[in-house]
Amino acid sequence: MNFRKMLLLLAIGTTSATLATGVAAEEFRWAGQGDPSSMDPHAAAVGTNLSFLGNIYDGLMRRGRDMSLQPSLALSWAPVGSDGWRFNLRQGVTFHDGASFTADDVLFSFERATGEGSDVGTWFASIDHAEVVDDFTIDFITKQPNPLFPNEIANWMIMDRDWAEANGATSASKEEPNFSRFNTNGTGPFKLESRQADVRTVLVANDGWWDTAEHNVTRATYTPIGTDATRIAALLSGEVDFVNPIPLQDVARVNGAGGFSVIEGVETRVIMLGMEHQNDTLHDSNVTGVNPMKDVRVRQAVYHAIDIDSIIENVMRGQALPAGLLISPGANGFKDEFNTRLPYDPDRSRQLLADAGYPDGFSLLFRCPNDRYINDEAICQAITAMLAQVGIQANLQTITVSNYWPLLREDDFDMYLLGWSPGGSLDASHPMRFLMHTPDPEKRLGSWNFGKFSNATIDSLVPQIVSEVDAGRRQDMIDQVHGIMRDEVAYVPLHVQPLVWAKSDNVELTQRPDNFFNLYWVRVN
Amino acid sequence: MIAFAVRRFIQAIVVLLAVSLIAFVMFKYVGDPISQMVGPETPIDQREALREQLGLNDPVPLQFMHYLGDVVQGNFGRSFRTGLAVDRVLLERIPATLELAIVAVLYAVVAGIPMGVYSGLYPDRWLSKFFQTVSLIGISLPTFFVGVILIYIFGPTLNLLPTFGRGEVVHIGFWSTGLLTVSGLKSIILPAFTLGMFQLTLIMRLVRSEMLEVLRTDYIKFARARGLSNRAVNFGHALKNTLVPVITVIGLQLGQVIAFAIITEAVFQWPGMGLLFLQAIQFADVPVMSTYLLVVAVFFVAINLVVDLLYYVIDPRLRLDRAVAQGG
Repeated sequence: MNFRKMLLLLAIGTTSATLATGVAAEEFRWAGQGDPSSMDPHAAAVGTNLSFLGNIYDGLMRRGRDMSLQPSLALSWAPVGSDGWRFNLRQGVTFHDGASFTADDVLFSFERATGEGSDVGTWFASIDHAEVVDDFTIDFITKQPNPLFPNEIANWMIMDRDWAEANGATSASKEEPNFSRFNTNGTGPFKLESRQADVRTVLVANDGWWDTAEHNVTRATYTPIGTDATRIAALLSGEVDFVNPIPLQDVARVNGAGGFSVIEGVETRVIMLGMEHQNDTLHDSNVTGVNPMKDVRVRQAVYHAIDIDSIIENVMRGQALPAGLLISPGANGFKDEFNTRLPYDPDRSRQLLADAGYPDGFSLLFRCPNDRYINDEAICQAITAMLAQVGIQANLQTITVSNYWPLLREDDFDMYLLGWSPGGSLDASHPMRFLMHTPDPEKRLGSWNFGKFSNATIDSLVPQIVSEVDAGRRQDMIDQVHGIMRDEVAYVPLHVQPLVWAKSDNVELTQRPDNFFNLYWVRVN
Repeated sequence: MIAFAVRRFIQAIVVLLAVSLIAFVMFKYVGDPISQMVGPETPIDQREALREQLGLNDPVPLQFMHYLGDVVQGNFGRSFRTGLAVDRVLLERIPATLELAIVAVLYAVVAGIPMGVYSGLYPDRWLSKFFQTVSLIGISLPTFFVGVILIYIFGPTLNLLPTFGRGEVVHIGFWSTGLLTVSGLKSIILPAFTLGMFQLTLIMRLVRSEMLEVLRTDYIKFARARGLSNRAVNFGHALKNTLVPVITVIGLQLGQVIAFAIITEAVFQWPGMGLLFLQAIQFADVPVMSTYLLVVAVFFVAINLVVDLLYYVIDPRLRLDRAVAQGG
């Protein structure tokens, strides 16, 4: 006791001494894998940042528990004229610094999001300009009809013009780090109290929030914990109330510990195999001067060789859904009848290879990341074994993700593993634009189509789908693309990745399928 | 002495240049920072613009010259990931690593030397054999494993000690210390024990074998024959003579502990330089990695210098040799 007192005196005695964290009644503590790289909501369009900052900043719309689009700073929205969207804004909303929210702040946030240094500019690719109608009405005029615009900006957050201008934070530029990377001023349910990057970020409830709080959290502390075992130990020892994610192999242990539960769900991310469609030779193969993957029968043979049930059962521990499309159930444009996979049939696979002129199979270079998707390396090893059964010798090369993307961009693969989540829009057109359209840097399409799959019909349908207003006609075109994709085996979809969170029984929270975590749904009991 | 220090200083500069060059060349292979800085939807032309802006398209020698030029002017660049000034970030992290390293080495010395002396003096007693067995475990178990086991014993199972982080810290000027708060002290126990375990066993084994060696020498027998007390012989004569190699090892190990606290820091989420470096590798954050390696090299050079100077203090023969050599 004396020792403690002495320490306390010492701590108080040092002039510039500051003590961190006190304990409040409804304190909520959680741990994740990584830390948001910035507190600027326009600096990086990555899930870690957008999910975290969604607690501090509001958007015009927000997603509900069922992922439906709900009013937030906008009360309602509707098409205006033939090429635009009108948003009616909520009145009486104030930013954390007390300034009131108006249409001018929306206009400013639009200019900022499309300006230099912003990483979220692509959300506004279809926008020609924005017009403030009055203090609480704003129009976004599109270059052509864009029925999806409200969905595409679901993760776009609104900043205060005056605050940004007063603090030299009018751009999200990475070059000259500005005030907004470390300080925030949103309209959201929580305020940033303190932040030490990569160590600890503390949020406190915003009593002046415009919405009635469903949560009862007064103070929330976030700590990134990189090591899986440590993150789980922090939960089990009661040092944090919630962790995301936990490895699949630890699900049983957390459930069995007593007082803890695992929240399992299906993410929006689909894991798939990509293949080389254009090159005339393979990188690493016993067949030379020819690219067998250009033959649709070979691609079908790959598809038929994969026993997805076995992968889900053994590698994913039963925690994944088989996928036949590049979007998951729940995404806009998903239809069950197109989600059926080509059946697992090694005999048919061998027959197809023989028909294509490879009765003894062939070998190829198979690239795979080892730290990007859940159990990615193990998935690739299982696939390698399955392909070997039908005679395709895959030379599996696994590598860390920061080296993986450059190899794919340099076209250094014959086959590769990829995961895709349909961004903020949750729409079937999203993977079509990035994965199925022929790569076209000028139109900014096909930027993740590493295998250069190319189909003229799909190329002409994608722009139409993006701007088609009529839901029925739109769905017909989406179905047409999905049909071509399966007939041509543009990709081999594998499974929809699971989401595995774990929490203490004394807290209630909601898992969103896009792996976003909202504090305003948390209750501490 | 001064000539020696100057020579060392020049050597140090050569070492630092070599380290930074090797680091720089190596970092070309850690991957692409751009793909981790931006979201998947960012178009290729914007990625290229960013790459150009960061100077990643320049040839490696040119990038290296730019980096050296900046470093000489005291500009260590900004983290690709967070945009923070690298020197500021490292300065923020250094106290955590140094406190951990010093506590770990202190504990290794304070426990290791008596254990070594005891098992050197009484090699046949059961306690000595017990120490030997324990030290074998300490040397052969990987840090990662020990850390995780300790976390599970003292965290979820016994609920005695924190499993991650530094606890509450007190800021004194630029220094942040966890050694002045209860939660900070509790937090450092497990990581320091984990980090120091290898050093402890090393010191214990070294002291033991040196003691066994020295106790066989003639001057110890002579000292005993003169009727000196056991205490005077064992500690005044024997232990003192074992200290030269022990100090060398402790010094070098301190460097090792600072540089390779990475794994311990990662397991315990200890917010030190090592954790920062590990995160920087994952994100291919080159400015952070380069500067970290420079800082570690500076530590190594400085520690080696201090160790060399300590020899002069402890070992009178070195002073004598030098004097004789100069006189002749």
